[in-house]
Amino acid sequence: MTAGAVPMVRLEGVSKRRAQGGSVFELQVPSFAVGAGQVVAVVGASGCGKSTLLDLIALVMSPSAAQCFEMSPGGGVATCDIRRLWASADEAALAALRRDYLGYVLQTGGLLPFLSVRDNVGLPGRIKGAPGGGARLDRLAARLGVAACLERMPDSLSIGQRQRVAILRALAHGPRLVLADEPTAAVDKARARAIMDDMHALARDEGVAVVVVTHDVDLVAESADLTYTFDVEQVNAQETRSVCRGLGRAGRA
Amino acid sequence: MSAQARPLLLVPGLAAAQLRHEWILSLCLVIALAAVIAPLLVLLGLKHGTIETLRERLVEDPVFRELRPAQTREYPDAWFDEVRDWPGVAFLTPTILPLSSVLQVVERDSGRGVIFDLLPTAPGDPLLLENGAGVPVDGELVLSAEAARRAGVGAGDELTVRVGRSRAGRAEVAEARLKVAAVLTPRAGSLARLYAPLAFVRDVEAYKEGYAVPARGWAGDTPEPFLSFDGAVLLLRAPLPPIVRTGLIINTGFARLEEAGAAEVEALLGFAPAQGLQAYALDAGGGVVTVSSLRALEQKLRGYDRVLLPYVRKLALTAAGGEPLQPLGLSVDAGQAAMLGLSASPWGGFSAASGEPGRLTSVLLPRTTDAPPDRLAVESAGVGVLAFELARVGESPFARPVVPIELLGVLRTATQRGVGFDAARGRFEMARGGYRGFRLYAGRIDDVPALFQRLRGLGIETIAEVEAIERIQVLDAGLTRLFWLISVLSVSGGTAVLVASLYASVERRRRDLGVLRLLGFARAHVFFFPVAQGAIIAGLGLVAGFAGYASLAFAINRSFASELAPGESFCVLPAGDIPLAIAATLALAVLAALVAAARATRIDPAEAIREQ
Repeated sequence: MTAGAVPMVRLEGVSKRRAQGGSVFELQVPSFAVGAGQVVAVVGASGCGKSTLLDLIALVMSPSAAQCFEMSPGGGVATCDIRRLWASADEAALAALRRDYLGYVLQTGGLLPFLSVRDNVGLPGRIKGAPGGGARLDRLAARLGVAACLERMPDSLSIGQRQRVAILRALAHGPRLVLADEPTAAVDKARARAIMDDMHALARDEGVAVVVVTHDVDLVAESADLTYTFDVEQVNAQETRSVCRGLGRAGRA
Repeated sequence: MSAQARPLLLVPGLAAAQLRHEWILSLCLVIALAAVIAPLLVLLGLKHGTIETLRERLVEDPVFRELRPAQTREYPDAWFDEVRDWPGVAFLTPTILPLSSVLQVVERDSGRGVIFDLLPTAPGDPLLLENGAGVPVDGELVLSAEAARRAGVGAGDELTVRVGRSRAGRAEVAEARLKVAAVLTPRAGSLARLYAPLAFVRDVEAYKEGYAVPARGWAGDTPEPFLSFDGAVLLLRAPLPPIVRTGLIINTGFARLEEAGAAEVEALLGFAPAQGLQAYALDAGGGVVTVSSLRALEQKLRGYDRVLLPYVRKLALTAAGGEPLQPLGLSVDAGQAAMLGLSASPWGGFSAASGEPGRLTSVLLPRTTDAPPDRLAVESAGVGVLAFELARVGESPFARPVVPIELLGVLRTATQRGVGFDAARGRFEMARGGYRGFRLYAGRIDDVPALFQRLRGLGIETIAEVEAIERIQVLDAGLTRLFWLISVLSVSGGTAVLVASLYASVERRRRDLGVLRLLGFARAHVFFFPVAQGAIIAGLGLVAGFAGYASLAFAINRSFASELAPGESFCVLPAGDIPLAIAATLALAVLAALVAAARATRIDPAEAIREQ
């Protein structure tokens, strides 16, 4: 993390409490930050709250409490106080932030089955109102090895191809931050590594920050600038508490 | 931050793409909607088509726009000027007394002269113009189909028509050769009728009343009223042989002959003739006894020593003072008087011609204690009140005053026809017949009920096809109600299908909608996703529905083609209702989508995207 730079996303003292069927889960994030262009890995076993953290950052889940929750897209755009937007339930502003600065890679790709691959990839740009240039898209597609898939429907792709297309879609409209939720959970280890490496390489080339959530530490150990993990604690029979903790530059040494 | 409107513009395209992707489900939905829309359109088309066809037929046939007067009465010229300007009146012409409005035409098959009704017409007459004829000018006739058939003429032929009248007891006939301008289609009526300009009809009437019509070379003068009687008493010295008696009621205009006793004779004549005479009472069986009847009877009785005395049974005569006057009528010459045991009438024997001025207004007054007046003012109630003076010319041999029987004949006629008294010339005159009716056509059938009521308001009862028109209005209202009932049923079914399908689609596509939210769509944007889908489905359903309607309507109109005139259809949509049907369907589809739309906005993307 470059000293003095304003982080793109900053969470201080953020917590999310979720009650589900009599059991309560509480995620506490004392401090979390993603700097511009950084690759941040969020690792942990399932149920530790890493998806919850990602949803908070993706602006689709409101925090239960927060001391500070800010987003600074950079490029002269003012810092947004996410806490205030949630407090005022300004759904449109949150949606606008999502569409302008965020890219999202779902566990299972999350491609729209009724659009062709090219339309899926182009959709975020169209929503943003800045349809991506065909040349850049084709270049990115070639780098991800899915150039031949562009005119096909998502149904006809293999799972690995779908994930690559999902990464392409997350990057195509030039976001500042890509959020990836277990992007390689459905493919074998070798393929997963290749996909992960491609994503990281592409993100670095495009200067895009990445937050990747995974249960597989090895997969991200080499490429992540920062790693966060969770300490899960059973408070009582009903309540589970998970605290997010930074690990620094994981496994680089 | 980029403008918010942009994502919204993507919604219809994405919604359409999803529908296309799930094309089987979409197709089923479109068919379901079309299955609701098409029958409703056909029903609406049938309702509109049949009602319009019925209405068109009424509108087309001028008979349904006619208002015919139910009674004969006099209408002043001003009345026609006023009514012609009423809203809804398309055509109006006066008519004359039906009895005067006839012409004699020689029937082709039998060679006999038959009487056809003559009706006045004028430019713009819808009965003629809409039944294949033009309006005749003077010297022309338009014939009804039946008249043309019986007379054996067609358009362009010449037809000789006769006008008959009886003047001073003589039958007279005038002739005219007229051109048949056209023959009406049978639809215009089944009766044998002739249509001619009003001026010709009026000339016919004038001639029949005894006037001269110099323009047509028809002779005559100012006509005297014809004489009419209720019956006659025949007095003979000896009874008639039965064969002669029977002959008296054949072709004489009399219908009944009976032997009459002295009392009966006195009751009929008002006096008792000399005893020992054989008396017979004759009458026309309730009809009118005319001078020609009397003449025919006299003809048959030539050689018999007889007296024929016509009588008039009842007249409402009042003297100037207001007391009723009941004169008996008697005109006998010396010979007849001798046979009856009376003295001859000062005015002579019975004469069909009125004779010198003042002859008819003579009276014999009974001997009274006071000196009888020389002149007696009398009023007679008839078509109009007839006022005149009787001049005393002698003393009545009876208790009642005696007047010439011809006077009573005139007064009896005056109870049925307009008769005036010219005091200066001392003679009665037939009044010229005024307008006694009209032919009125409304512009549209919907005007008929209003005109019917308006005329009734003036005390003029008319005969019109108000019922037929109202029947159609009732049928229209009933079918409309039925249509709406069926519409409510099927539209609620169609709406329910749409609600369920769109809702199910949102449930099925939760994950996709979640992804769309993640990609930057706001709640407000995904709201329009089902709405757009509803509108698209409705639009396609409308296209399919209209296509179904068009083919069904074509089939219906084809199968009923034999019942329909060219240009008529049983199944046709009113042009104004088509945009209405489209708007209503789209509006309903959008309403149906609102439930699904509300559901779509409640989708939590964080949950939706992790559903497998």
